[in-house]
Amino acid sequence: MRDTVLLLAMNGLIWGLIIALIALGLSVIFGLLDIINIAHGDFFMVGTVLAWFSLSATGNFWIGFIVAPVIGFVIGAIIQRLVIQPIHGAAALSIVATFGLSLILQETVRITFGATPRRMLAPIQGTVPLFGIDYEIYRLFAAGIALVALAGFFLFLQHTKLGIWMRAVRHDRETAVAMGIPAQRVYVMTFGVGFALAAFGGAVAAPITTVDFRGGVDVLPFCFMAVIIGGLGNLAGTVAAAVLLAFLEGLVQSVADPTVARISSLVLMSAVLLLRPQGLFKGFTR
Amino acid sequence: MTRRSIEIGMAVSAATFLISVPWLIPALTDNFWVSVITEILIWSLFAASANLLFGYVGLLSFGQALYFGFGMYGVALGIDHLGLSFWPAFGLGIVSAIAMALVSGVFAVRLSWHYFAIITVVFSLIFYFLAVSMKPLTGGDDGINFSLPPVFRFGGSIWSLTDPTFQYFFVLAVVSLCFFLMYRVINSPLGKGFLAIRDNDLRASLIGLNVYVLRLIAFVMAGFLAGVSGALFAFFGRYASASYMFYQVSGEAVVWTIVGGAGTMFGPLVGTTLFIVIREIVSSHWEHHSLIVGLLAILAVIFAPKGIVGLWNGWMTRLGERDAASAPPRLTLQAEP
Repeated sequence: MRDTVLLLAMNGLIWGLIIALIALGLSVIFGLLDIINIAHGDFFMVGTVLAWFSLSATGNFWIGFIVAPVIGFVIGAIIQRLVIQPIHGAAALSIVATFGLSLILQETVRITFGATPRRMLAPIQGTVPLFGIDYEIYRLFAAGIALVALAGFFLFLQHTKLGIWMRAVRHDRETAVAMGIPAQRVYVMTFGVGFALAAFGGAVAAPITTVDFRGGVDVLPFCFMAVIIGGLGNLAGTVAAAVLLAFLEGLVQSVADPTVARISSLVLMSAVLLLRPQGLFKGFTR
Repeated sequence: MTRRSIEIGMAVSAATFLISVPWLIPALTDNFWVSVITEILIWSLFAASANLLFGYVGLLSFGQALYFGFGMYGVALGIDHLGLSFWPAFGLGIVSAIAMALVSGVFAVRLSWHYFAIITVVFSLIFYFLAVSMKPLTGGDDGINFSLPPVFRFGGSIWSLTDPTFQYFFVLAVVSLCFFLMYRVINSPLGKGFLAIRDNDLRASLIGLNVYVLRLIAFVMAGFLAGVSGALFAFFGRYASASYMFYQVSGEAVVWTIVGGAGTMFGPLVGTTLFIVIREIVSSHWEHHSLIVGLLAILAVIFAPKGIVGLWNGWMTRLGERDAASAPPRLTLQAEP
């Protein structure tokens, strides 16, 4: 019993870190461009598929960690320029446009990758003893990678020119433009970064979950919940909320079936929305 | 040609077409299209429920599939488990959808915009997962099938939806009645209150409107529309399934509404027709029809941000301006989005 609880809680924690990466991408796009991105789950799915393709093309798993975010960034930038820019940040229209994107991405993957879900073998096999249970090494490694990527992203926001521009445009677009920041280019980059984060999450998660053209459908509501529970625009809160949600779901899963676990996290979500619509962590940061 | 005469001409030809469908369509193409048009009518009512909330009250609901599902399961379980006849089952579907909308609305309409959208998704997901897990009752994703009871029985003659022509007219009558009711509500003082809240809820509250109660009324009405369409869809397919309660179904209603024209009476009908007709035509020739649908959704918001009906209203207004010198200005039937 204790072992199951520990195992599922660990699984939840690690899944939460990966979700946090994806949700960060969603939050950045949401906060900066005011785009409700229905296709964000599919950005993650594209990441898993890119990882699968690069593994089967080169035989080297690790190349996927570079290929997925780089190609994701490029696709994201192109999408922003072609689809998102013409609708001028109208949130209602962005739902329809990204719904269309979601269909196009899923169908493109179905044509090229196929409709059958596939499993990917983890590049690191084996288990290590951890608190008395044998735990898969790759999952621990994935957690480490996700943590490094999260830290890297916050450093990027604080210390690079693009990161500072992104925060500036988000904070006050008019002033930022007046100071000479190329807002339009920042928007393109932001969408690319959002896609890249989700795709990187996909590449990390690919050996843990299945590679499937519908793989993003379940991830999407989860990411939105993390963004809202964490508080709109509160990036650190998003990360905390994602980890907390997945961890709690893992805990409940050890005593009940996964559906009950999902329902209980949704009920928790409703309670947070109604009691603290500004997010769980308002007041802790800033 | 004035705007008025064009609109009257279109209304008359649309009505004529809808009434002649069971004879016109088999003569022109295939009986199959009668059932497609029946389905379009049902789904456009579903889209209208999203439109009532988003287009007229400014609340973006991503959870209308919940009330669709309650209407659907009310009918299916009423017939299959309780052994109800047609009208009581229909009633059970609608009443359970309304009850669910009332209960969730009490909480949901306290929030607005992003938060409202998220909580409606969350509520509908909770019941989607419940429906999936209660497989013995709901059949889960596989759903439950049931056989149709007759609608009317006059002495010896039995009227049942198994007759496609009767089924078509039954659906047409119910959907038209619902659209008429919605039209009456939108043009009543209550409807003006909705529009005031959509445009600026703070000002609406300052002139003495009870924003919370009005939103709740709209939410329950939208639940009613979704419930009726779900009940009709259960009768139409003799089937109910949890998969129709998933958030993607709710999303489709929003997309059809916005592409057709949110905040217009017939926008949902136009959007739904466009997407379902294209799906039916392309899917028989090409397996990957979703690509076309996705592309279309994107092109629609780029080139017709106010929707197809909004685009049309724009043309009509310009036509009207050309004639404006000779004619006095006239109020339009449709609310501008």
